[in-house]
Amino acid sequence: MAAALLEIGIALVALALAGLAANRLSLSVIPAYIVVGILVGPNPPTELFGVSLRLVAYGEFVQLAAELGIVALLFFLGLEFSVGQLLADRRRIAAAGGVDFLLNFGVGVAIGVAFGRTPLETVLLAGIVYISSSAIVTKSLIERGWIANPEAEPVLGTLVFEDLLIAVYLALVAAVVSGAGGLTGAAVDVARAFAFLGGLAVVAWYATDWVERAFDLASDELFLLHVLGVTTLIAGAALALGISEAVAAFFVGTAFSQTSHVERIEHVVAPVRDLFAAFFFFAIGLQTDVTLLPAVGSLLAVAVVVTTASKLVSGTVAGRLYDLTPMRSLRTGLALVPRGEFSLIIAALVVASVGTGSDALADFAPVVTAFAVGYVLVMSVLGTVLIQSADTVTDRLAPLITR
Amino acid sequence: MTIYEAEVPGVGHKFEMELDGGERLVVIIHHDGKRDVYRRPDPDADSEQLFSLSSKQARQLGSILEGAYFQPVALDDVKVPLGDAIIEWYAVDDSSAVVGDTLAESGIREGTGVSVIAIQRGEETIPNPDPDERIAAGDTLVALGTRAEQQTVEETLEG
Repeated sequence: MAAALLEIGIALVALALAGLAANRLSLSVIPAYIVVGILVGPNPPTELFGVSLRLVAYGEFVQLAAELGIVALLFFLGLEFSVGQLLADRRRIAAAGGVDFLLNFGVGVAIGVAFGRTPLETVLLAGIVYISSSAIVTKSLIERGWIANPEAEPVLGTLVFEDLLIAVYLALVAAVVSGAGGLTGAAVDVARAFAFLGGLAVVAWYATDWVERAFDLASDELFLLHVLGVTTLIAGAALALGISEAVAAFFVGTAFSQTSHVERIEHVVAPVRDLFAAFFFFAIGLQTDVTLLPAVGSLLAVAVVVTTASKLVSGTVAGRLYDLTPMRSLRTGLALVPRGEFSLIIAALVVASVGTGSDALADFAPVVTAFAVGYVLVMSVLGTVLIQSADTVTDRLAPLITR
Repeated sequence: MTIYEAEVPGVGHKFEMELDGGERLVVIIHHDGKRDVYRRPDPDADSEQLFSLSSKQARQLGSILEGAYFQPVALDDVKVPLGDAIIEWYAVDDSSAVVGDTLAESGIREGTGVSVIAIQRGEETIPNPDPDERIAAGDTLVALGTRAEQQTVEETLEG
């Protein structure tokens, strides 16, 4: 017990220091958590000046905390998912989100094909490069003050569309990668997943009144336990049935999104999410073998360059669809460049599938982790830096946009 | 005046208030209660953050802006220089019983307990009038006394 407690203590201190460093550098904490996970984890670097750096193993507790991190992240995504907003502005959101998906997912597919990946691996790669990081993008919008500008609309609209799409995507992919394989098997798995999740979505939609009353608790402590309890239970049940626990948590979140409990959840449950999400990014770092990075170097380099450009273009088009000026349209593109938590969740899904169902991805799993980590590290930092130096970029590129 | 409201996922709510000439005030209310207030001078300009307030500060500022703000003060701290006394003004009209009387004759002090500390007569003010100062129609008597005493002055003047 002593050794385990010490290990978690080291992990928490490492995360705290990494977060502090990231704040000092005005960068997102996500890459910092991953890097510190790589540093203190079992993979190289393993020592520094003769001192062992194998301080924290990828043990059961970290795995479970990371899993809870995924559940909490998706629960909050569902909580903050506004059906009303989506419907109220559906035409512009669908147009902006559609361009964003077609271009970026399409580019991801092209990269996968160009590098000779199997269809399944290609779809996974495309998912990783498609989805922007809600966490980093929103934080950057606030820090730059763009949140109060017109460009916030297409950015947030695109994120809402991506949220919905990633729920469908994760449900689909989780069913396929954890299934027994084969086309018929996959079809059955997908149908089962959509039946379960569709049922959950319908229950979540109609349960609003019940949730409103059942969670009307005086004590914050009981409230926290109730919310975490129901979310984890449903997510766990889904996973036990071979269905994406992340998407299940997303729909549980949507059940709360129409109630008056949202503010309280943001207040009481958000710290728990922050803790477990930190463990999720840390766990990704622990599992990352940086010696595999050179093997995916060319894939990584191409993906970084091409998908930065494609997000910039799709975002700019989205901005134009919202009748924004060239400068603001470019900002929309820049704001959406950071990738983060969802790319890593897709990679984690692949890793988790190994050994459960078909082993079609057994060889791909280490590659996808290395790729996703390398990609997210670059894109989260590059995206943040691009947003910080947006004026230089928009001054250069704005004259190129006419019409 | 139009106010736009929008949800900002993961942040809270955004309100935009139109001011004159395309200028807008933008208020972001974070889930933790923090309020950021921005001003956008015109539709093409960038919003600049004016200030950021905690939930409590924001509510206080709100009530000041609303004109409803008051600072409650504990009664022990209230210092009235006159003790319980207050000052009142009384107009003396033609029909008043005291017209033509001196202050001493009018019996205001004996009858009610208030002291006449000044008489306003047209543009002129007679401070600290003598007891034999005569009261004329159209005068305003400035009287110092307790609230209870003041309530009886009106009757004495009418006679």
